[in-house]
Amino acid sequence: MDNSTHNGPERLVQYLDGELQGSDKEKMEQQLAVDAFLKQQYESLLLTRESVHYFGLKEKVAGLHSQMMKELATPVVKLKPARRMLRYVASVAAAILLVAGLFFAYTFFTLSSDKVYSANYKRFELSTTRDGGVGETASEKAYRAGNYKEVVRIHDADEDHTPKGEFLCGVAALELNDNGKAIKCFNEVLDANKNTTEKILNDEAEYYLSLSYIRNKEYDKALSLINKIKDDKEHVYHEKVSVKLLRQVKMLTWR
Amino acid sequence: MEVIRNFPDSELVENLKSGQRMDESIKAIYRSHFESLCWYVMNNSGSRQDAEDIFQEVVVNFIDMVQKDKFRGESTIKTFLFSLNRYTWLNELKRRGRAMVREEKYERGQERVEMDTSHFIDDREGRSEVLRIVGELGETCRKILLLFYYENMSMKEILDVTDYETEQVVRNKKYKCLKQLEQMIMEKPFLKETLKNLLHG
Repeated sequence: MDNSTHNGPERLVQYLDGELQGSDKEKMEQQLAVDAFLKQQYESLLLTRESVHYFGLKEKVAGLHSQMMKELATPVVKLKPARRMLRYVASVAAAILLVAGLFFAYTFFTLSSDKVYSANYKRFELSTTRDGGVGETASEKAYRAGNYKEVVRIHDADEDHTPKGEFLCGVAALELNDNGKAIKCFNEVLDANKNTTEKILNDEAEYYLSLSYIRNKEYDKALSLINKIKDDKEHVYHEKVSVKLLRQVKMLTWR
Repeated sequence: MEVIRNFPDSELVENLKSGQRMDESIKAIYRSHFESLCWYVMNNSGSRQDAEDIFQEVVVNFIDMVQKDKFRGESTIKTFLFSLNRYTWLNELKRRGRAMVREEKYERGQERVEMDTSHFIDDREGRSEVLRIVGELGETCRKILLLFYYENMSMKEILDVTDYETEQVVRNKKYKCLKQLEQMIMEKPFLKETLKNLLHG
């Protein structure tokens, strides 16, 4: 140290305490930058001050600690091993329930009539005729050609009101996104079959009518038909009605 | 009657940093977190007394970290305290030579999270020694140093709460006490590392 640091330790403590100002402070900082011994002394003081700070903090917390221990004196229950195991099992079960709940919530909120309809609708296919279509009606020909507007036009022009004509009108209306028309046509098929022994396309009409109701958001009517199909093992579409479809329509009724 | 209140994490951290409403903030930490952290220790081979001691140590270290900007709010205070508590308790168990293998395995899984803070609270014995040495300082010296360096009181304020005649006398006394403590610490070179860790993290 040079002469400027006469009374060095005191000056250093003043610097530590933030009591040096202006040129005195600058001078000390310059000395610290070049004087390794002085710097070492300063660091030693910093560590000493740190020890006081840590002790003070410890004292502060200790003072409040005993006070808080009295306030929080309620005993904490120590779990026995069996209870601990039970707790782990309960935690796992809760986690599974949570995941299941989240999955259910996701399914519930993302479910829509269109989704259910699309997942279960498949265009009705007319059976192939051996005569190359010679004996087919105009509705059948138009349907086979995918000309759904023509199928509906023929129906509406009173040219084909047979159960098959009504049925094809219903499916064509579904293809044209005309739910109301489809519902009307399929109901015509069911009405026509009511008083006959030979039920023409009855099962098919019931299934497609249920899908029409789903897309038209008439879930109660759809559910009634779906349950009927599910309960009837002889029904042509019995296998098509899955538990999943039933569950989804039920969920749609809750919304 | 004391008003009991909880602070949001950000306000609590701000209070601890600035030293404002310190008592209220520390009490809020106890009220919000003691029970769950105590539960952890007591259900991992510890007694109620162990849990209390560990919690006190955790709170001291947490506040110290906050005041040195080592807690940056990347996790909640609750998560951070839980991590400190677990680390400190496992450390204590190891010191006692009966650490549980299961907990060690669990601890390894948490290694990444805790490595960030472990260096700060390692060397518990060194810290105890620091406290012991400051405690060994005469009562008058300890009081003056604490008032000045911990409570941040001015010489004039210290003069008001002590029996000294002038500020200069207080200043001289404080200087002597600081040098005395410095000497006591420097007689134990290993404490330099402990204090460096405390100071710089």
